[in-house]
Amino acid sequence: MTDLSGPSDLPPLAVRKRDGLLTFGVTIVTVVCILAVIGPYIGPYDPTLTTPRVAVPPPGLLEIPGTFIGWLSGTLEYPPHWMGTDASGYDIFSRVIAAPRTDLAIALAANALSLILGVFFGLIAGYYRNWGTEFMMRVSDVMQSFPVFISAMVLVALAGRSTTNIVIALAFVYVPIYIRLTRAEVLSQKSRGFVEAARALGQPELTIALRHVLPNSMTPALIQSSVTIGFAILLTAGLSFVGAGVRPPTPEWGLMISTGANQIILGEWWPSVFPGIAISLTVFGFAVLGNALERRYEEGQ
Amino acid sequence: MTLLTVRNLQVTYRSETAVSRPVDGASFTINPREVVGLVGDAGSGKSTAALALLGLARAPGAITGGAVIFEGRDLLKLPDDEVRAIRGRDIGIIVQNPRAALNPMLRVGTQIGNAYKAHNPATEAQARKQAVDMLRMVGINDPERRVEAFAHELSGGMAQRALIAMALSSKPKLLIADEPTSGLDVTIQAQFLDEMWQTVQSTGSAILLVTQELGVIANYCDRVLVLHDGRIVEDAPVRDFFANPQHPYSQDVLRLFRERGGEYPAQITGPRDFLKTDALTKHFPLRNSKKVVQAVDKVTLTIGRAEAVGLVGESGSGKTTVGRCLLRLVDATSGKITFDGTDITALPPADMRKIRSRMQIVFQDPYDSLNPRWTIEDLLAEPLRVHGTPDKATVRAKATAALNLVDLDPALLDRKPRGLGASTLQRVNIARALILDPEFVVLDEPTSVLAPRARNGLIALLAKLQKDLGISFLFISHDLTTVRYLCQRVAVMYLGQIVEEGTVEQVFSTPRHPYSAALLSAHLFPDPTHRRVDHPVPAALQGEIPSPIDVPKGCYLSSRCPHATDTCRATAQTLTSLPDGRQVRCMRVVNGEI
Repeated sequence: MTDLSGPSDLPPLAVRKRDGLLTFGVTIVTVVCILAVIGPYIGPYDPTLTTPRVAVPPPGLLEIPGTFIGWLSGTLEYPPHWMGTDASGYDIFSRVIAAPRTDLAIALAANALSLILGVFFGLIAGYYRNWGTEFMMRVSDVMQSFPVFISAMVLVALAGRSTTNIVIALAFVYVPIYIRLTRAEVLSQKSRGFVEAARALGQPELTIALRHVLPNSMTPALIQSSVTIGFAILLTAGLSFVGAGVRPPTPEWGLMISTGANQIILGEWWPSVFPGIAISLTVFGFAVLGNALERRYEEGQ
Repeated sequence: MTLLTVRNLQVTYRSETAVSRPVDGASFTINPREVVGLVGDAGSGKSTAALALLGLARAPGAITGGAVIFEGRDLLKLPDDEVRAIRGRDIGIIVQNPRAALNPMLRVGTQIGNAYKAHNPATEAQARKQAVDMLRMVGINDPERRVEAFAHELSGGMAQRALIAMALSSKPKLLIADEPTSGLDVTIQAQFLDEMWQTVQSTGSAILLVTQELGVIANYCDRVLVLHDGRIVEDAPVRDFFANPQHPYSQDVLRLFRERGGEYPAQITGPRDFLKTDALTKHFPLRNSKKVVQAVDKVTLTIGRAEAVGLVGESGSGKTTVGRCLLRLVDATSGKITFDGTDITALPPADMRKIRSRMQIVFQDPYDSLNPRWTIEDLLAEPLRVHGTPDKATVRAKATAALNLVDLDPALLDRKPRGLGASTLQRVNIARALILDPEFVVLDEPTSVLAPRARNGLIALLAKLQKDLGISFLFISHDLTTVRYLCQRVAVMYLGQIVEEGTVEQVFSTPRHPYSAALLSAHLFPDPTHRRVDHPVPAALQGEIPSPIDVPKGCYLSSRCPHATDTCRATAQTLTSLPDGRQVRCMRVVNGEI
């Protein structure tokens, strides 16, 4: 507003403050995405083949430097098991970094499916309000009122344990969230002035819905995606844990925790703990990213 | 001796990315018992400056320099507790949004009493008595009952009066009123300002009146301060300011008023049958009730080719609904709309679409009426694409021409609405409405969100377009000053009905219907030579506008009209022509009784 040139007792314009948490979240999400592409190929062992060494513990903290030097100089008889091996002899490290291929793919597919269906039905339910769409919303309420995990489990149990069925089950439980989010936004957008202006110009209703209302109503659903992907990964792992998910020996975090869980009582903590940490970090990363996107969107408003 | 001296006041806002100084070196004085107006564009720092006089700044702002000397003491240097004692006792403040400023959990009387007790030793009973007295003083009927009211039980006007009662309860020497009437209807605005003015005459307070409205300045202020770029650029007695503004900004703000002085737009010569409504009625059903909101009640209106007709009235009078019915954005409950000889009341959608290229509308809120995701070019191309399949070059050429028409730089074509100002966006809206060369345009309060300077520019533009292009306008507005400059004829609406209709000159110079008379007397024309406070105000309307759900049985105005008789209250009124050509909905006027 005012010319600020000339002598001033104020500090120079502040740089945009960096959001440490967001950087952390973005880093995790990036790493997980990269692993989903190259993870299965970069591990020291084939993630789906056993080794002759069962239940090897990971190197102790003090042994790490020695093992590392030995690995680099090639004096070890076999590549080190950085996270140990499990009771069947699988190399945990190779499987932990191979798992995003399975988990992220399922989560992405499920999210994309539920996003498309949810936005579509949400647009219809918000734009055309009649008994049909009211009924649709009640159905979606009923769907949402089941516990997410139980519904997914039942769906997979009924349809069979295939990756496609897991994707469909996950999409089914997330669709109502997207319907609700989109519908709420459509309701507020369709009473905006530019919608009425388009109507005054003679735009057909369908064009108004698709070209004016829809693009302005999608942001909340897109932001929700980040959170949903994180939780879909958790749910995929959960399904495997209870035996309703992918089949062994597919590298998958939930499956690894499940098989490792039997050994914890014997003091073999590593087969479960490492995939557990991986899941926690991943879900956290997506949630933080979603949160940051949401904040930015609200500020933009 | 001056009451308040401000020297080189500076307020700085510092955010992570930028530093700005909305107030940067403002200096002025206020004398005892003086009413001083502080004007400036939106964002010129008026409110910030007003707040800084109390030693306050809204976060993240801070007062970073200068002096505010009140009765010889610098408020910016005094210890906090002493400044707090001065705030409220010696300097009172009234803020913009009255409802937000009242505590919803406390009774109004309690709040006024607390304000009084904060600065005066008083018992509960004395404080309550003071609250009743103050409410009576600011013109609230039945103050003994109103002290028990909560904020939500008061209308906007009453809440604003309760705030002034609170601010004046300690008889402050200076009252700072920050746009105290924004959002109020004209009749209530005038009543409120009258009461504020009279009250300070009796308490002997000085007022700093922060406003954008030149009408308010002209009618109530003794002196004007113009704030521009954080500094006071003009300080003049009110008559000198209006007669001979010095600073370019002031000249700009007053341009319209000065150029078009007294003349009315010339009447059209052709027949007035281009657009006609016949007993147009719109009822909105209420949920879970058999009652309806009677938004528009048998409105009969005619507009000729190239004629501009003003539609005025308070908010809730049904003006906007009439405009929306004309364009079939809502369907009328009954009645008939004829456009250029075609009955469009129930035209099938396909035929209606063709007609839409000939009639357009410009909405009130420029930010809301443009899709934020589209570029200006796409927005302007939309009407062309709906009514044809133009190629890219044609779209570009027409869009450029349309922007030139509304005095905008064609470089805007690739921009999106975000970041553009209200006045620019409203011009884009007008360009979009005009791009198909319509013959009739509804302008629904197109200037109400604009600052005075931008408003002047837009009105001048609209007047020019209407003249050059020969478009018929229905200009919906509550701002009578604009209607007077732009329209040939005017219809006054009250509670869904037209109560008077005639040429602007007839209605504005000699209003016949009691409601038109009240509306016009309440309107603050920016003319300091006929100040409202200098002569007795004609009979004002009593009470508030009735609900459009339960309309009065006879004349709709009978509950508020000073001339109402029992016959008025019992008989519905009809719109009747007078010998001079105007129409009035009042049998007492028709019979020559008033």
